[in-house]
Amino acid sequence: MKHKEIPKGLRDFLPDEVNARRNLERKASQIFSSFGYEEVITPTFEFLDVVEAGVGDKGRGKLFLFMDREGGIVSLRPEMTVSIARLAATHLQDEMLPRRLYYSANVFRHVEPHLAQYREFWQTGIELIGAPGAWADAEVISLAVNVLRDFGLENFKISLNQVGIFNSLLDDSAIQAEFKEIIRSLVEKKDLVELGRTLDKLPINDLLKETIARLPTLHGGLDVFARLPYIEKSPNAVKAVEELMEVYAALKSMGVQDHILVDMGVLRGLDYYTGVVFEGFSPDLGYGLLGGGRYDKLLAQFGFPCPATGFALGMDRLSLVLKNSEKESPHYIVGGQNWESVVKKADELRKDGKIVELDVEGLSRDALHEKLADYPNYIIIYLDAVQ
Amino acid sequence: MQENGLTIALSKGTLLDPTVSLLEAVGLPCEGIVAESRSMIFAYTGTPRIRYIICRPADVPAYVEHGAADLGIVGKDVIVEQGKDVFEMVDLEYGYCRFVVAVPAAMSGVSLKELNYKRVATKFPQVAEGFFRQHGLQVEVIKLNGNIELAPLMGLSDVIVDLVSSGRTLRENNLIELVNIMDSTTRLIGNRVSYRTKYDIIQPLLEKIQSKMKGE
Repeated sequence: MKHKEIPKGLRDFLPDEVNARRNLERKASQIFSSFGYEEVITPTFEFLDVVEAGVGDKGRGKLFLFMDREGGIVSLRPEMTVSIARLAATHLQDEMLPRRLYYSANVFRHVEPHLAQYREFWQTGIELIGAPGAWADAEVISLAVNVLRDFGLENFKISLNQVGIFNSLLDDSAIQAEFKEIIRSLVEKKDLVELGRTLDKLPINDLLKETIARLPTLHGGLDVFARLPYIEKSPNAVKAVEELMEVYAALKSMGVQDHILVDMGVLRGLDYYTGVVFEGFSPDLGYGLLGGGRYDKLLAQFGFPCPATGFALGMDRLSLVLKNSEKESPHYIVGGQNWESVVKKADELRKDGKIVELDVEGLSRDALHEKLADYPNYIIIYLDAVQ
Repeated sequence: MQENGLTIALSKGTLLDPTVSLLEAVGLPCEGIVAESRSMIFAYTGTPRIRYIICRPADVPAYVEHGAADLGIVGKDVIVEQGKDVFEMVDLEYGYCRFVVAVPAAMSGVSLKELNYKRVATKFPQVAEGFFRQHGLQVEVIKLNGNIELAPLMGLSDVIVDLVSSGRTLRENNLIELVNIMDSTTRLIGNRVSYRTKYDIIQPLLEKIQSKMKGE
């Protein structure tokens, strides 16, 4: 058989998988709606300029690019936040703020596919537009906790950081821009070996070197800051630490601190983050389950300077760690030789909320029972001819 | 991933002996792990519980990336060739070797740019292609699975990219080293999520190994 191949990294979803997926989306949207978030839909592809205004031009190799017939270069969306920022800048400038939006959408990245990493994958997430400050961050992060709890996930953790800590340390160091980029990617990759070597070659303060070298391994409660001696010398870093502590305190008063950790290695790859960032993970999967943070400068890229924060859940990865606990409802099947009475009976049952199939093959009672003998989820109702 | 314990993937072959000495030196159990053993899994009770998987070096990054092992010990050569998403924690400094571009002695003195559009035989296509691309050169890479030094002798390729330690094999086959692409030593690698979920076990171990490497 030819023509059965599908492009690398894509897949079909069968009814069981779709059912499980929709259940998760439904649970998430119920929680988001109850906090005043409203669903939006954006185009599946955007102009390359729009995408890169948000995510920068370093990741062009991961975009699916093509041209429209007017000659514009367009990209399948690699994520949702940039599209929502563009939407907000276009439509929400005169609205009352903050505005709460959520989405469920497929996104596309040209990555090497493997378990838990596909070229088309699904994200459900929220964006809180127009609210600065720790309480807004805390609302968003606590919603991430609430959703994972509601999904029935146990033992999950959410790691917080504030990108301003790392950025201020680098800015204060007079390191050349190209080395800043290298150091940033090494901290992010947690490549301690190369990070140590790169820092050794740089003419900077030893205490600062030690502080940067330690960042990827600082992980735990608020006490991690005690292990960063250099921070006190940088007023901007101190400010960022204070902001992170405020968010932590706000989360504590929301009762979700058991799921929260501080992890200085979390920087999130995207250029647009400006403040608190976070990632969620579970011991059952070697990959992150959700990610997000504050992006106060992104909307200005589209002419609407406005603070914002949000996160996206990786629905494909969540499906891998969550067993579908929803029990499948039984299917009734109504058979018989009189079509009119079969249809009538089926309609009656549907009125009671049952799922009812018609035996469109018109099988005999015995044949129908024989056919479904191995399918315990079917309840057979056979109508004999009226006496 | 094993709850409450640690799974470590070890490379079998020449790295195994120095690895076992290192594990011993930092106080991890390792009785009974010998190169000749046919067992592939060694488990120890105690706190924390430790389990080793002994596998081919090329498979170690896969175990770690997917979280089937929390930590792994493997050469940098394998890590760069595979480009897996793992946390590179410590340079363990043993198992030294280097990636080189080597040419037949008859081509000695050739400049790198003269290799443009030549054929390169290698076991490490990613490293080979990446190196030439970085220098703005295009080459045809022929992937072989061993005895790379045979390829130029038999006219299969013009040059080779291979891993050498002493360089003896090159000399014996009348090949000379043209460029040292990069040095490689053994690394301790970790799974990104394990590092967070098992921080309490992994971090002290990491610090112990780091200070041993610093000679403290």
